Amino acid sequence: MDQRQANSLIMTVNEKKFIESALLSDIRVDGRRPFDYRNLTIRFGSEDGSSEVQLGHTQVIGFVSAQLIQPYRDRPTEGTFAIYIEFSPMADPSFEAGRPGETAVELGQIVDRGLRESRAIDTESLCVVAGKLVWSIRIDLHIIDNGGNLVDAANIAALAALSTFRRPECTFGGEDGQEVIVNPPDLWEPLPLIIHHLPVAVTFGFIGKENNVVIDPTHYEEAVMGGSMTATLNTNGDICAIQKAGGDGVLQSVIMQCLRIASVKAGDITSKIKNAVEAYNTQRSLRKIKRHDPLPDEQGSIDVAKYHMERLTLGSDVSTAGHSNMEIGSQSNERDETNKKNTTAKGFSGRPASWDPYSRGVDGDALKASLASRVTAPPDKHIKSSRQVKADVAKSSQRSSDTNSFQEAKKIGLQTDESKTLKDAVKPRQKRRINKSTSNSAAT
Amino acid sequence: MAVDRADGRTPNQRRPVACTRGILHRAHGSASWAQGDTKVIAAVYGPKAGTRKNENPEKACIEVIWKPKTGQSGKPEREYEMVLKKTLQSICLLNVHPNTTTSIVIQVVNDDGALLPCAINAACAALVDAGIPLKHLAVAICCCMAEGGHILLDPSKIEEQKVKAFVYLVFPNSMVSVLPQGSLRLGGELMEHGIITSVTHGMMAVDDYFSCLKLGRAAAAELSDLLRSSLKLKAGNDPSKAG
Repeated sequence: MDQRQANSLIMTVNEKKFIESALLSDIRVDGRRPFDYRNLTIRFGSEDGSSEVQLGHTQVIGFVSAQLIQPYRDRPTEGTFAIYIEFSPMADPSFEAGRPGETAVELGQIVDRGLRESRAIDTESLCVVAGKLVWSIRIDLHIIDNGGNLVDAANIAALAALSTFRRPECTFGGEDGQEVIVNPPDLWEPLPLIIHHLPVAVTFGFIGKENNVVIDPTHYEEAVMGGSMTATLNTNGDICAIQKAGGDGVLQSVIMQCLRIASVKAGDITSKIKNAVEAYNTQRSLRKIKRHDPLPDEQGSIDVAKYHMERLTLGSDVSTAGHSNMEIGSQSNERDETNKKNTTAKGFSGRPASWDPYSRGVDGDALKASLASRVTAPPDKHIKSSRQVKADVAKSSQRSSDTNSFQEAKKIGLQTDESKTLKDAVKPRQKRRINKSTSNSAAT
Repeated sequence: MAVDRADGRTPNQRRPVACTRGILHRAHGSASWAQGDTKVIAAVYGPKAGTRKNENPEKACIEVIWKPKTGQSGKPEREYEMVLKKTLQSICLLNVHPNTTTSIVIQVVNDDGALLPCAINAACAALVDAGIPLKHLAVAICCCMAEGGHILLDPSKIEEQKVKAFVYLVFPNSMVSVLPQGSLRLGGELMEHGIITSVTHGMMAVDDYFSCLKLGRAAAAELSDLLRSSLKLKAGNDPSKAG
């Protein structure tokens, strides 16, 4: 007990008075104005459904995983999701390992309420066999650095991880056609979750007796503030949840002003999340493009192999120091991009090219001409999953992939392949349904 | 013999390492260590006042908390904590701060094989970042015995699951000293050839174990050069993070 009290933040009277009097002139200790957010950085890990969010000095990492369970008896056609928040002892010397304290539980409840009651995640699409098997989504959020305003950062981490998570595709098989087979992600393209809207949490702190309001409080301001309010809203103008648990009384007009500001901030944050997710999806689809030698005899290596090989060939070890952000995810992605620009035929092979129309190579100039004439992709195209490309095609496809829009690629229930842009960039006449069974049988 | 590893590496090639120090602002020392896709974050708080109940108050106490990626902490996490604690106890100078506790918190971000060596390397870098007095650094590596009898260095998760046996090895880092060469030897052997920790899984022949040791030692020497250059990179003055 003594240990914990010794570790918690003790604010001196001077520090308290400084923060309060600076606010009277609309200045905050870190130089922000009262309604400015700190810098928000959203990064993704190497797996689908893992995110790292940095909001000023606060850092949160989120992981999403799924497993098949039996549904609740009163909701036989709905999947479930649960949020687990871990206040890691590395975030703050006063956090202890073991059972979550009351702040951790409250934080978990706020994030959970924002997602569950606003029905942001579509749970009906998670049903596999009504009454017997549904997907249960588990969201793990680890707070690794407490710089204040953990609610907002944790919420953004959860939303980012959910937006990039892919669950495996299930098919029916077995002798009687009743057995559910979970298909591995390297054979069947995994599906994203259906998320109707993004409920973003915006936290306000009330400091001092003059109803001074600050948005996104740092942990020093949190130690000084008399009360706080978290409003969870989405860009459609819906208020998903408001949490003001005790603390100083606040005028109604101030609350209304806070909600107005919150809706503006929620719009900013939503667009940042969406941009980050789109950039991740672009890179993910570029990773999925298989490249192999024009030797049809050699048998396949897996997608992971190709990915590792590309990272290893540029594989210089990276050492950085200082208060730098976690560079790893972005660096490896950058390495991938540069590698794709430089690569020619490497010494390994993908799946046999027996059904590839371009097994004799691609005419670069004709492709560039056709690329220049193409603007956007027609939405109802089905694409093959692997093809052979040359280095310059990869380069030009990268340029076109930036301009192509990805929204039409996400079709509910259909298997769309992520390497859409390359296919569209090449030739329109090669329309083929993605029929994995025939492609697999053709390959073997 | 040419061995085909799934990601195209040679048997003696480790995955590229990415090490970043000072990533967290509240912790006294922090580091993130990634070997290929395996990534671990380590944070150090210390020295803090007091030791745990049954610990010797005349020495500093090391406490390790291991946080898995998802799920509750269970028995495997307890084992990792114990191995990490014993390894780090042997490299820290425990008499400098008696009756204190240094906590090391490990967070697994991604597990793609060789998780414990990655964590040991991260913890070592975090201890350096926090300024905890150390005798020398610990360099950890993983070697495994594949089906055909050859030894692979730094296996990925798929490789780890397929092999008959693998071993996690921790060596002290290679010495660069102004002292004459002879004083670096202990009983005729070089100090850096000493093994701090060795954890094996599965069954392997004694000769195979010795070959793993040899390969591990060579890899550790190379990795320790990388570690030394990376730890020197810290530029500029660091504002005090205590408190």
